[in-house]
Amino acid sequence: MNIFTFVDVLVVLMPLLYAVLVAVYALSFFGAIPIIDRFKSSFLILTVVLHVLYLIARTAAFDHPPITTVFEIMTMLAACIAIAYTYIELRTKASNTGLFILLLAFVFQAVSSLNIKDLTELAPILRSRLLGFHVSTALLGYTAISLSAVYGFLYLMLYREIKSSRFGLIYTRLPNLEMLETMSSKAEIFGFAMLTVAILIGIIWLPRAFETFSYLDPKLVGTMTVWILYAVSLAAKRKLGWQGRKMMIVSLIAFGFVFLSMTVINMYMSGFHSFY
Amino acid sequence: MNLLSIGISHNSASLDVREKMWMSAEDAKAALLQLKEKYFNEAMLVSTCNRTELYGLTPETKVDDAELKRFLIAFKNAEASVKLEHFYGSFSGGALSHLFKVAAGVDSMIIGDIQILSQVKEAFNLAAEAGMMGPVMNRLMQATLHVAKRVRSETSICEGAVSVSYAAVELASKIFADLAKKSALLIGAGETGELTMKHLVGKGIGTVKVANRTREKAESLIASFGVPGAVVDYENMAEGLRTVDIVITSVNSPTYVVRPADVQKVMKQRSNNPLFIIDIGVPRNVDPTCNKVDNVFVYDMDSLSAIVDRNLEKRKAELPKVTTIIREEVVEFFKWHNSLEIGPTIQELTAAIEAIRKQEVEKNINRFKAEDRELVEILTKRITNKILHQPIANLRNGAQNNGARGPETVNRVRALRDLFGIADKEKHGT
Repeated sequence: MNIFTFVDVLVVLMPLLYAVLVAVYALSFFGAIPIIDRFKSSFLILTVVLHVLYLIARTAAFDHPPITTVFEIMTMLAACIAIAYTYIELRTKASNTGLFILLLAFVFQAVSSLNIKDLTELAPILRSRLLGFHVSTALLGYTAISLSAVYGFLYLMLYREIKSSRFGLIYTRLPNLEMLETMSSKAEIFGFAMLTVAILIGIIWLPRAFETFSYLDPKLVGTMTVWILYAVSLAAKRKLGWQGRKMMIVSLIAFGFVFLSMTVINMYMSGFHSFY
Repeated sequence: MNLLSIGISHNSASLDVREKMWMSAEDAKAALLQLKEKYFNEAMLVSTCNRTELYGLTPETKVDDAELKRFLIAFKNAEASVKLEHFYGSFSGGALSHLFKVAAGVDSMIIGDIQILSQVKEAFNLAAEAGMMGPVMNRLMQATLHVAKRVRSETSICEGAVSVSYAAVELASKIFADLAKKSALLIGAGETGELTMKHLVGKGIGTVKVANRTREKAESLIASFGVPGAVVDYENMAEGLRTVDIVITSVNSPTYVVRPADVQKVMKQRSNNPLFIIDIGVPRNVDPTCNKVDNVFVYDMDSLSAIVDRNLEKRKAELPKVTTIIREEVVEFFKWHNSLEIGPTIQELTAAIEAIRKQEVEKNINRFKAEDRELVEILTKRITNKILHQPIANLRNGAQNNGARGPETVNRVRALRDLFGIADKEKHGT
């Protein structure tokens, strides 16, 4: 098979695979088909492996790693989330959170596949070595805060069920509150550190790469808002003893901004951070 | 099948009647030994605080189950209070599915009770010690354990706490990750409060603290839990609230012992670490509005009982699944048991040998001249018949002398089937 055909097939196949994967995890979560629990992990690994092959094939076919447009980044992000979750599932056996995390991976992959373009010509700026660092730290950061947000969301759902003593599937299937909180806050701290590095590299690199950029560019403002939100919440945790519900809400709000900054601002508003 | 069962349980008799029939391990063993002489080849006796039941495999001759009931009553010298009407009894498939139901916990007082399985296992062990476990009883034991295992893994009939104290502990493990790193404070010393603390200790709680109006009482309680602990001054309860993760209140007091203002203050001091308050006092010890404070979870008797009721409902909803499993396993057991019959075994053995003979003759028949071929057929048939004659005759004679269903005969049939590889669709080992 020609490598371009391979890429073309996988562009369509990947979101479908994630859709099926989400369906499998949903069936398992709702306890519909008990046998499904036995092979869901294998299916997860298969999807992740195909995804990695897809990314490698893209790199080879278009002569650059898929990190230059927001849609290339999104498939990378989907892969990172899926890989991180695979690790969590194999390490902790807490496979019941998979539905929610993989749903996020599916969304990113679907948006990516619907919009991704086959670019071989790159703007010269994107050949910079600093870009690699900027993007990989940003990717790790986004992956971590995506996970943090999902765990935060699950924490809030479980918190509500326990508080109101109305116990549903969430109560039955999810791990305990403390574990969800620990997962969320560890991921948040790691994500924040990575984003800080990514932003620093970006700021160093910007004036060199673009002569006409402004510090009031929506992308920069959006990113800084996100960074400040995380910084404030981490400070509140340390200084004011914020824990549990409040922290999780802040984490979710911050993730909302991240999503906006990645999508709306990147696509429609930014002066410099869109490259296609 | 010649399985017979009689018994007395919470379904047929009140506690004061069935406690008269309760048998210790020694009792049960002695009873089994007497039963062996009189009635059974193989038998077992299970006795718990809720039931005393006898399962036995009768020889050819019919056993009068009223006689067995009288024997058990007489064995316990309980003629004064226990009557024949307190017993129930069943035979063959009925006895089989009853045993399966008991082991699966669906005949228990609290549906889905898991303790009963270990008691049934223990009963089989006792039967083995009394020399009452033959091939059929052994198979019955495996089948029973298999049913219990299937019921537990394929249904959720054993899931969810069905006592208030256990419901509280289950909630604790949904809030905290590792109870070994947590501490719990018991305020007061009601029975349910103590029981809840004991369950927490069973789940591996790290440290226990007790606040009681009398210090000695607190100290002796801590000693009884057997884990690291400390006494908290009853007057200085807030200090206790500051340092622990779980609080159980069980105080006899007309007013609230814990109020929202206390909790709010304490939460600040403990930098908002989650606090789980189990209020077991009636009337309540903890102002329910405390639940509105962030990271504080308050549960009282009403909300805990509601959990228990819901769990019981859920368990009941699983009953049809259990019935299906039991029906399937009864069928499986009968299939196996039927294979022990002598008649079918002889038929299958003859058919298997005949198949071999036919195959070999067909393969080699062309080597013989056409006129000899009929002779070959006759000769080979005669050889196989002669070989089979003696074992079949011995099997039949043995059955006549030892009983067609006696352990001796059953063992011979099984050995025969095994040695000749006659299809025996055994699902779970031998």
